[in-house]
Amino acid sequence: MISIEELKYLAEISKINLTDDEINRFPPQLNKTIEYIDILEELASDESITLDLHEINFDELRDDVVKKSDGLPIIKNLTEEGFLRGPKMK
Amino acid sequence: MAHLHDLLAYEVVEGIKGQQFTAEQYVGSIIKRIEDVDSKLRSFITVDSEGALSSAKIIDRKIKEKEDIGSLAGVTIGIKDNISTKGIRTTCASKILEGYVPSYDATVIRKLKENGAIILGKLNLDEFGMGSTTEYSSFHSTHNPWNLDYVPGGSSGGSGAAVAAGECTVSLGSDTGGSIRCPASFCSVVGLKPTYGRVSRYGLISYANSLEQIGPICRSVKDAVMIMNIISGKDIMDNTSIQSTPIAIQRKLGKLNIAIIKELIDGSDHDVTTTVYSASEKFKDVGYSCEEVSIKNLDYALPSYYTLASAEASSNLARYDNIRYGFDFPIEEYKWDTYFSNVRKNFGQEVKRRILIGSYVLSSGYYSKYYLKARMLRSLLKLELLKLFNKYDLLIGPTMPILPFKIGEKIDDPFKMYLVDINTVLANLAGIPAISIPVGFSNGLPIGLQIMAAPFQEQKLIDASLALEDTIDIQRRPIAI
Amino acid sequence: MNLVMIGLEIHAQITALKSKLFCSCYGNYRDLRPNTNICEVCIGLPGTLPIINKKAIEYATMTSVALGCKVPGKIMFYRKNYFYPDLPKNFQITQYNVYGFSSIGADGLFELDDSKKIRITRVQLEEDPGRIAYSEEGMNVRNSALVDYNRAGAALIEIVTEPDFNDPKEVRLFLNKLTLTLEHIGVCDTLLEGAVRCDVNVSMKGGNKVEIKNINSFKEVEKAINYEVTRQTSMYNRNLKIEYETRHWDDRKKITFKARSKEEEHDYRYFPEPDIPVIVLGNNFVSTLKGYMPELPNERFNRYVSNYKLTEHTSNILINDKKLADFFESCVEIYFSPVEIANVLITDLKSFIDNDSESTDYLSNMKVKPEHIAELVKLIEGNKISRITAKDILIKIAESGISPSEVLNSTNSFKIVDEKTLKDAIDTVFDTETSAVNDARNNPEAINYLLGKVMKFTKGRADPKIAASLINIKLRKSEN
Repeated sequence: MISIEELKYLAEISKINLTDDEINRFPPQLNKTIEYIDILEELASDESITLDLHEINFDELRDDVVKKSDGLPIIKNLTEEGFLRGPKMK
Repeated sequence: MAHLHDLLAYEVVEGIKGQQFTAEQYVGSIIKRIEDVDSKLRSFITVDSEGALSSAKIIDRKIKEKEDIGSLAGVTIGIKDNISTKGIRTTCASKILEGYVPSYDATVIRKLKENGAIILGKLNLDEFGMGSTTEYSSFHSTHNPWNLDYVPGGSSGGSGAAVAAGECTVSLGSDTGGSIRCPASFCSVVGLKPTYGRVSRYGLISYANSLEQIGPICRSVKDAVMIMNIISGKDIMDNTSIQSTPIAIQRKLGKLNIAIIKELIDGSDHDVTTTVYSASEKFKDVGYSCEEVSIKNLDYALPSYYTLASAEASSNLARYDNIRYGFDFPIEEYKWDTYFSNVRKNFGQEVKRRILIGSYVLSSGYYSKYYLKARMLRSLLKLELLKLFNKYDLLIGPTMPILPFKIGEKIDDPFKMYLVDINTVLANLAGIPAISIPVGFSNGLPIGLQIMAAPFQEQKLIDASLALEDTIDIQRRPIAI
Repeated sequence: MNLVMIGLEIHAQITALKSKLFCSCYGNYRDLRPNTNICEVCIGLPGTLPIINKKAIEYATMTSVALGCKVPGKIMFYRKNYFYPDLPKNFQITQYNVYGFSSIGADGLFELDDSKKIRITRVQLEEDPGRIAYSEEGMNVRNSALVDYNRAGAALIEIVTEPDFNDPKEVRLFLNKLTLTLEHIGVCDTLLEGAVRCDVNVSMKGGNKVEIKNINSFKEVEKAINYEVTRQTSMYNRNLKIEYETRHWDDRKKITFKARSKEEEHDYRYFPEPDIPVIVLGNNFVSTLKGYMPELPNERFNRYVSNYKLTEHTSNILINDKKLADFFESCVEIYFSPVEIANVLITDLKSFIDNDSESTDYLSNMKVKPEHIAELVKLIEGNKISRITAKDILIKIAESGISPSEVLNSTNSFKIVDEKTLKDAIDTVFDTETSAVNDARNNPEAINYLLGKVMKFTKGRADPKIAASLINIKLRKSEN
């Protein structure tokens, strides 16, 4: 179950600034979902179940060829030199 | 004579090629239709009438000059606003992408344009595809054209409503846990989710990449096939895409063996099951066999879905930090990590919840408990379904366990909202194709039948759907508008 | 003193690739204007997907093989989730073996020297992030970070070793051998700026591992290790507990300082990358690759010694400069005289190039070509020119790019073997060097002086053997 402390930790690693209201309101809502997915524990950890994973053969992969972009993707906030201006690091 | 805006896609193409009307006339009538009804329905986020009209004029000029105009010439398409359209704002119904204009077209968009289709505008959805009613859009809710107080379904609610109401010829939606089929069912139109990998996801803004596909929402099965054949195909820009064979528009196969999934019937409202049973009787009338089957691992399907979808979403949505693109939020005053956190508090409530759950199930200590188990279940479920498909050609049941409900009815209980996906997530977990076709009404509210087939067996889905479409006389035009 | 255990985590860019790991932008981002070597995919625009580069897998496999690793039949990619402005998707696509062996290599062994091998934990393929730059003229750096994504998505090979090193000198030796290996298999041009980076971890036996990041060159690696060993030793001696933590190397202050503690360590929430299916390499992948993979340095060394009969010393010089070794083999291909060719390259060519060259690319920019060297050696062996002349000719070729025979014809530099000409030359020298001649009658050593004068007079063309014997004859004659 998610406590308020754990919620704050999750919010920090997800980089979401929660309001006080959300900090109080979310745990019961999230815990209902967590309770619901706890049913997965019933499934035995059967090593013999090969996970259904899509496969692709090496030969089908992209060749090492350069393609120039049609037009550069628009990213905002570039300086005159072309750097992206982001928030300060420290 | 039906209004121009009621025409089906193949009728539009025939009409324009046969010069019964011009593309400009047709697009003009669609734009007028939007002007007439969208203030009530609110299907659209962005309408590009200028672009649509100029594309129409190009088609008309080409016809005059006897140039090739493509198999979808003049067909107007509404695009769910989580699919990348070059030069047209693409928001995912989120404040975080309010100002985002893509510099590239999704592969499906490129293919549609190459075949003469006209991109009409962007349709409303639950933010980032997370939801079942379109109420989680951060802009506005969309209304069900059959009864404006009711939800149109979600997350491709705008796509379902717009097509049902004739605001576009056809639309594209995306389906992660039922997001094409749910609105198709609630709006009484056809919605097709292809086999995983059949349609390129390049340009589909990811919510849960191992579960989702783009697919058509249309007013007829034939239209859905036309669109599906154009958008399908292996794409170098999507390593998970797989080549497939086109679907024939006529019924191709003979007798099909059908099974009704018992648990899905048991879990549904009475009105829904009655209508679905009577539809299945129609299958018997055309010579298909119909039995009942049980799915053992069904109880784990929704928990597995929410675990995997949230996990993937928490990672897919990490890129939205607003420093490269997004919305207006000045960087001054913030250090980079507090900037990120303050930008991202502009996600809607449901998106935040799923990101938090996703981070939770992936965090060290919980990975084996939830994520790994969910993947195991996924494999088990797929195996179980494939075994059933050895015996049966198709598995059917109600698309939604309940009738459409009123706007605002479930919004305060997110968990209750999750439960409506119970019938649809199976197909996403197993990567199999599934269609929802309209089979009736109860109190004026639409009911859909869901048909599922084995991977790449879309032809079987279409055969059965065509058979049903022929025999069931469904009211096509929503009376609410 | 086996108290100290050091392990390495090395990142080497696959500079040999033309494009990036997951998109078709240029792999070599250097010297380009910021944010011009980008596309929708490497910037992580919404809706884009990674498209893996086949050649990157080949190069990474070669690296695994060169390091003695096992290579699995199927490989997978994982997402490492963390936020940072230089990471466009706020996750890095990398490889991870905790849930099963699925990276491009693991469990390898690399020979350090005759007595020690280093265990290679794993080799993995991953993408490089962009760069955060601060120092820009005229920008108020304190208020914003400047980010350049030209490098984002370039292919990296990560090599992780077990903590088998006990001494910074071993580390240095390993890094030298490793970079040489990477050069020889053609995966990485290690002299390019930023092409190879190395982080270390240091622990006192039984104690916690301290990771040290942000080390900018191999020279600094040794210094950082020495500092950290001193730091930990002193703590150990005072019975202070060394915490598991990440430290950064400050190359101005020459110290390590704490960056993150264990509690602050990222929870990377690794999970399999859904956009990249499991890649099936196939059973013959590695054996086929071994067939066309370039030679490893010690394989080449052995071939030089046993097939070409070069000395170990000469072979070492060649092996340590791959471009020179390649040049050498091109010469040998034209004219099979490996010992003499190596001689000319190392004694004559290398010396004046070392004085001359600025870039590491001197061989490709040089006007002297393998054909020239081959011809030169043929002339030497055919006794048509002397070795001194050969060196002069080389200089001329380096200036003009014309062939040895053209140089010879224009300067008339053929070796003089004709006795009459030599006798004339000797006579001239004898006339001018009368005192030396007198000395030579008594002192055999002085004959060398006379020979030297004859060589000078003939501009190095005289055949020294014949000239020496003619001098002797003349001396004895005049005695009588």
